[in-house]
Amino acid sequence: MERKPKQIFIQGAISSSKIADSIQKHSSKTDIGAHSIFLGQVRTDEKPEGIIQAIEYTTYEEMALQKAFEIREDIFAKYPLTCLHIYHSLGVVKTGEICLFVFTSSKNRKAATEACNEMVERIKNELPVWGKEIIDEKKSLWKENS
Amino acid sequence: MELKGIKILAFGMIAEKINASEFYLKEVSNTNELLSSLNSLYPQLKEMKFTISVNRRIVNNNEPLNADSEVALLPPFSGG
Repeated sequence: MERKPKQIFIQGAISSSKIADSIQKHSSKTDIGAHSIFLGQVRTDEKPEGIIQAIEYTTYEEMALQKAFEIREDIFAKYPLTCLHIYHSLGVVKTGEICLFVFTSSKNRKAATEACNEMVERIKNELPVWGKEIIDEKKSLWKENS
Repeated sequence: MELKGIKILAFGMIAEKINASEFYLKEVSNTNELLSSLNSLYPQLKEMKFTISVNRRIVNNNEPLNADSEVALLPPFSGG
């Protein structure tokens, strides 16, 4: 089956029910022996300008979906995975809410955990997504990935 | 029909600094010319870090442009 770029963006925070549903959906795939999940949560950061209340995400969507697809293909070629899912928020996500969900599944744990870690690193480095850290209605800062 | 020029998309901090997320530039035939044209149009870009993509691919060297090229100005990524 030929794979094509899939939508990865979700408006607003990623709900815990979405994550639970996603896990549940894999119960029919009984060749899976291990899942690895990464959840990115918006952190309350204290900056000289004030305390971060939320992050507002924007993207260059056409390029981001193409890039996500390419990274996904690379990871599938490198690790023996059964499944790989990515969800990233767009728009405002408040502190304490989930903004990134990466989910890998494999027969054995090593492939699942290594693929998940590599996927997260590549998403942060290569996807054209920008986070604006919101302090209040007037003040904001542009997030920098460390 | 008048030619609009090459379509340029701006994102994140860049869009905020130049107060536009989409505009057109005439008389640029490659990315080097585009950069110098941008610098004179928006001097505030000089001190900013960004990369350029042409048709959704990041370019590091001088790349030819034509009427159908879609150029984007991409500040450092900060997803996740």
